[in-house]
Amino acid sequence: MNGHDTNTITPDTTLNPPEKNSYRYLFRRFTLLTVVCSIVPLLLVGWGLNIHYSYFAETRIVKSFKEQVANHGRFIEQFLREQSTKLRLVAYTHSKKDLQQSGNLMNIFENMNREQPYIMDLGVIDQHGNHLAYIGPYDLLDKVYKDEKWFKEVMQKGLYISDMFMGFRQEPHFIIAVLRREGDEKWILRATINTQVFRALVENMRIGETGEVYLVNTQGLYQTTPRFGGSIMDRADMAVDPFKDLVTVDVYKKNEPGRFSGQVVGKFWLTHPEWMLVVKQAGSETFEEMDHARFVNLLFLHLSALSILVAAIFITRHMVGIIRKRDEHAARLNNQLMQASKLASIGELSAGVAHEINNPVAIIMTERQLLIDQYQQTMIEDPAFKEQFLSSMDQIALQSQRCKRITHNLLRFSRRTRSMIESVDLNRFVTEVVDLMERETKTSGIRLLAELDPNLPAIQSDPSQLQQVFLNLITNAVDAHEGKPYGSIRISTRYDNDTEGIFLSIADTGTGIDPKHLDRIFDPFFTTKPVGKGTGLGLSICYSIIRQLKGNITVKSEPGEGTEFMIFLPLTLSEKENRGSGPSGPDNTSEPSL
Amino acid sequence: MKGSKILLVDDEMVFTTNMSRLLANRGYQVTAVNSGDAAVQELEKDDFDVLVLDLKMPGMDGIATLKEIKKLDLFTQTLILTGHGSIDSALDAVRLGAYDYLTKPCEIDDLVSKIECAWQKKEEHVKEEMQENVQKIIESPHSVFDLYPSKTKKK
Repeated sequence: MNGHDTNTITPDTTLNPPEKNSYRYLFRRFTLLTVVCSIVPLLLVGWGLNIHYSYFAETRIVKSFKEQVANHGRFIEQFLREQSTKLRLVAYTHSKKDLQQSGNLMNIFENMNREQPYIMDLGVIDQHGNHLAYIGPYDLLDKVYKDEKWFKEVMQKGLYISDMFMGFRQEPHFIIAVLRREGDEKWILRATINTQVFRALVENMRIGETGEVYLVNTQGLYQTTPRFGGSIMDRADMAVDPFKDLVTVDVYKKNEPGRFSGQVVGKFWLTHPEWMLVVKQAGSETFEEMDHARFVNLLFLHLSALSILVAAIFITRHMVGIIRKRDEHAARLNNQLMQASKLASIGELSAGVAHEINNPVAIIMTERQLLIDQYQQTMIEDPAFKEQFLSSMDQIALQSQRCKRITHNLLRFSRRTRSMIESVDLNRFVTEVVDLMERETKTSGIRLLAELDPNLPAIQSDPSQLQQVFLNLITNAVDAHEGKPYGSIRISTRYDNDTEGIFLSIADTGTGIDPKHLDRIFDPFFTTKPVGKGTGLGLSICYSIIRQLKGNITVKSEPGEGTEFMIFLPLTLSEKENRGSGPSGPDNTSEPSL
Repeated sequence: MKGSKILLVDDEMVFTTNMSRLLANRGYQVTAVNSGDAAVQELEKDDFDVLVLDLKMPGMDGIATLKEIKKLDLFTQTLILTGHGSIDSALDAVRLGAYDYLTKPCEIDDLVSKIECAWQKKEEHVKEEMQENVQKIIESPHSVFDLYPSKTKKK
């Protein structure tokens, strides 16, 4: 049997659950609502906080960067000031003569370089630009500096720190020179700052892996060699405009063209000499922690949004599923109710029709009897007429009886609503059900076979409920032959002494039940019939009825071979009890003898 | 028992006419009426052995008629003959005191055999009652006229 339902009435389509599309629509609406109500505010708050944090963090980082640049700038200024002070101290505490004496200048030079070799050479120059004494690696004693720019500046200002220049040694260097007046005489103490040491001093201040620090003079020439590209005394590709603030920091975006694309650039003007300290770092490194925090924040934010979305989808799907199940359940109940009311109407109609037919048939029977009476009192010679007459009378009786059987079956069918425990002769019962179903099965090529145990005792049961069980099972058996040109349904009864009950089997030669469905066929609303064809209640009703009648129902099935339902019904009361009371009971008397 | 008096009640006139003739052919004295009211009236003025009563009738139906008849407290036995195949109402009638029931259409022989059974039952009742009355007369001879005014009525 490929289904287990007896319902073949097509349910009213208006009672069917809503179309699948409407659940999809519901699903989309619910999901959208959840997204709008939870994810959108979450994202708005999250993004808002993120922007606020970024602004705050960037301001702090830039401020810190600015402080570093300023500190660095002051450090270089301090260094140069120290060197100048040392030089001035030497010049003002020694006379030209002292310094010209052999060994003195060397002594001073060594003392000045005691901590670090800051000074590359030291020289004493008279007011005419002639070298009087010199300690250093170059041979400069015979050089005359009268026309040099630095010489003119120091003669004028008293202290001068030069920009980087090549000079007589033809190497980039810068000098600090101090003018000393000794009576009418003027002389100059000049020191060349060790370019390597100075460069290291400047560059060691660089920030991070990508940091770069260099100095540029007012003409835009590098005063130290930059780490990336360019070399000392080359022209730097940047503006050297003066600015009001002590320090400026500019953050250049990656998409901004130019030399500083994607960099954070801090600038600081030294006062003496007028050099601009440039401190650079790749923006990605400067803001690395902030970017990382932002990334983590955004990651968590979006993961949260995603998890809400996933949860929303799951919850919505689950809820829509519940709604759908409820709808289907309601639709099924409605269908069942409709079916029940239809059956009740059919029952009432059947009862009315049966009554209306029984009366005329009763009259026909009396008319027949009158004719027979008349015939018996009349002398008729013709044997052919006699024979025909008697045969016709028999036929009238036979056909009337047939009408009676049909109407009785119809009436029994209509009585299913009344629950009454009474004595039931199962064999007679099976015969009645088979009679009722035979008309339906005859056209479909299915034979109904009854193998009835003649020694079957009557049982105490509810005939109308049993009838429903039989009708359900037989209708299912008939449906199981769909697509097969012929088949048979065998109904057998057997009394079992040991269990004191009756076994009733309904076996068909239909398509059988899929083994995976076998566990579920008695579940309410389980059906393998197409939607709208069966309610999935037939077998569960059978099961509940049989259990109510203290019996049991089991099933065996071979796919392709057929299915057998075995019903066990107990004899709840002894046979004597149900036959003992009152006048001849309905079972014995209502069936007239043929 | 030939000569038994039968009262036949059915709203189908053709049916009562035919059945009257059939029962008359079998030696019964048959009176046929077509409503419950007429049946009650008939029972009030005459004695019957067996009443054959249809259940579904316009006006007073079989069950109502049976209730009315019960008030008369007769020996008459009632057979229900119903075209309504539902035996529930017939069983109700049996509970109300009807002797037995038959469903239409039925063979005349079945009806006759049930009438015979009913008649016997009625005779048994009469006999029991008579014995009781004889006992009462023996005990109190003056009560004879109060106790036994007619053949079929109890009082």
